[in-house]
Amino acid sequence: MNPLKRVVALRPRLLAALLALLILPIGLVSAPFRQIERINILMPAPFADATRPLVEQFNRLHKGNIHLDVIRGPFETEAISDLAISSLLLGDTPFDALLMDVTWLPKYAAAGWLQSLDPWFDASDVETLATGAREGNTYEGTLYRWPFVASMGLLYWRTDLMDQPPETPEQLEAISVKLQADQKVPWGYVWQGRQYEGLSCVFLEIIDGFGGYWMDPKNAAFGLDKRNGVEAATWLRHLISSGISPQAVTNYAEPEALQSFKVGDSALMRNWPYAWAELQKPDSDVKGKVGITTMVAKEGSSSTATLGSWGLALLETSSHQDATAEAIRFLTSEQAQKQLFLSHGYTPVLVSLFHDQELIKVNPTLPKLAEALEHTKARPETPLYAQLSDVLQRELSGVLTGEVSAEQGMKNATKTSTVIMRSAGDRR
Amino acid sequence: MLLLLVPAAILLALVFVAPMLHYVWLSAHANSVLTGLVPIPNQGANWIRLVSDQRFWQDAGQTLRFTVVSVSLEVLLALAIALLLDQRWRGRGAARALTLIPWALPTTVMALGWRWIFNTPYGPLNQTASLLGVAPLNILSNPAITWMATVLADVWKTTPFAALILLAGLQTIPTDLYEALRLEGASQRTCFLRITLPLLKPYIALALLFRLAQAFGVFDLVQVMTGGGPASSTESLALYAYINAMRFLDFGYSATVMIGSFILLLLLCLISWSFLIRLQHRTGRV
Repeated sequence: MNPLKRVVALRPRLLAALLALLILPIGLVSAPFRQIERINILMPAPFADATRPLVEQFNRLHKGNIHLDVIRGPFETEAISDLAISSLLLGDTPFDALLMDVTWLPKYAAAGWLQSLDPWFDASDVETLATGAREGNTYEGTLYRWPFVASMGLLYWRTDLMDQPPETPEQLEAISVKLQADQKVPWGYVWQGRQYEGLSCVFLEIIDGFGGYWMDPKNAAFGLDKRNGVEAATWLRHLISSGISPQAVTNYAEPEALQSFKVGDSALMRNWPYAWAELQKPDSDVKGKVGITTMVAKEGSSSTATLGSWGLALLETSSHQDATAEAIRFLTSEQAQKQLFLSHGYTPVLVSLFHDQELIKVNPTLPKLAEALEHTKARPETPLYAQLSDVLQRELSGVLTGEVSAEQGMKNATKTSTVIMRSAGDRR
Repeated sequence: MLLLLVPAAILLALVFVAPMLHYVWLSAHANSVLTGLVPIPNQGANWIRLVSDQRFWQDAGQTLRFTVVSVSLEVLLALAIALLLDQRWRGRGAARALTLIPWALPTTVMALGWRWIFNTPYGPLNQTASLLGVAPLNILSNPAITWMATVLADVWKTTPFAALILLAGLQTIPTDLYEALRLEGASQRTCFLRITLPLLKPYIALALLFRLAQAFGVFDLVQVMTGGGPASSTESLALYAYINAMRFLDFGYSATVMIGSFILLLLLCLISWSFLIRLQHRTGRV
């Protein structure tokens, strides 16, 4: 027997191993020549988890060409932004795109970190979006963000306690007072009164509903200390002092308000769309007795829902811009939105999905959400939003706890906001 | 002779004076995303803002509270530990080494450790509480008490540093002083009050001033342990300056906050220095 044959016969495994050793380096060397574009998108942890199946689909679809990795960031939204900004300031960011909150966009865009999405998304794409989802994606007329999940402030009401939800502040008071007098509920209305971003969202809806404005988008003037602004703040304070809302509402964020409503302690609640699914869970005392509508507004003013959406933005430093835009398109496609709605209840942004019977069967509030999306309003679109919101929260918190009058509080907020704008280089 | 000071002076100017002057200059300019991150003079607008900035003054108050409480506790505890470690007893060497461990740990690591200890409901503290049938304590989410948790963590970490300084001081006191006083029938207490404390005073002053400056500039501990929360109740001035730069992208105002807190620290040091000097004079006459 010749020696080679003997080796093949006796040592097949050894031979296979040798062959593998020979082939492996060839594979390693040739891999870069196949030009796989590796792209990274940073998302807060819950979103990263929710999109995992979509990422797998995308990678299967683009096998050998594009490989998408969604980086699972921290849970807190502030921490995500801090992480992204640090890497952007240092100038060598590993990310190609970010999932960003609606309030971050002006800051990132003004800093010059974002790539315009205009080459990839045109007017016909924008038309597929629900009205509210079209907002908060542009800065000074340029498209920088494509919406991923829609969110807006809603008024939740108990269908077993009232025939019609309130439409005006006066009706809200009347319904609450009556229900409380009849001892149906301890509290009329719960909302977010803690000194944090949620309070700014609550106030935006009320000040607009009272016919006023926080910041005029045309000339960036503040309207907090105008008559309507003071009236709005006075009304929120009145809710607490008259006992329609509990004193504790000044320390409520979303979970506390939800808890109060869920155990049947309140007739009305202000919250985001996620609360609906929570209220339908088996441990909810109000299951099947909840309706949603838009926030109350004075007669003659239109109802306002604070826009709170997340969207994908392409970074200017990305060296795989076409591939990343492709991934953004895939993650926000109709099929992806449908999948995310069914698996995680994410509110879609495409107008077509709000009338999809399959989805309405799962969540009958969808048409109401579509209606609320017609009333959305973005928080002031300025790069200094975070500081301005901080000032408003502080002063409002003082008003709600009775430390300062509504008039004085709003005056302080306006003055401080102007000082901040000037110190940051605003020349008006 | 003065010539020999030149290298040190140059070094100091490069790493201390130059950045400081740069910040003073920056604090007179707007430098944010609105200016395209380019400095533009803004006629003292940053300083007008600082004076009326509620958040700055709230943070200043919180930083002062943190500093005063933790430094006082640290120096008192350090004195006790130093006295103990100065005595002769079996295992003293091992004890001295062990005492230093908290100080040798990186702050980030120990802050993360404390955050885990106080975690609701999974941290060891709340696990123990639930074993004893006590309701979980929301230590890191209650604005009224979270700052105490940061003080506890800081005391745990930096007491060894103060103890080390005081121990060195104790070892410089000649033992014959004690022997002489004891021959006259003085009690242990008198020895401590008449010899130990007066002679240790310069070291106490040193420990106080070192710790004062460090505690007032606290950053890493709160950043990791609480992130400044809840409701910015543990936010320190250094953290606020960081947030202005890194989160708000307002470098001009961040510099102003930095210089503002530097001035406050300077005042704090001057006040405590004059206090210590007066104390020195008074007891010196006794």
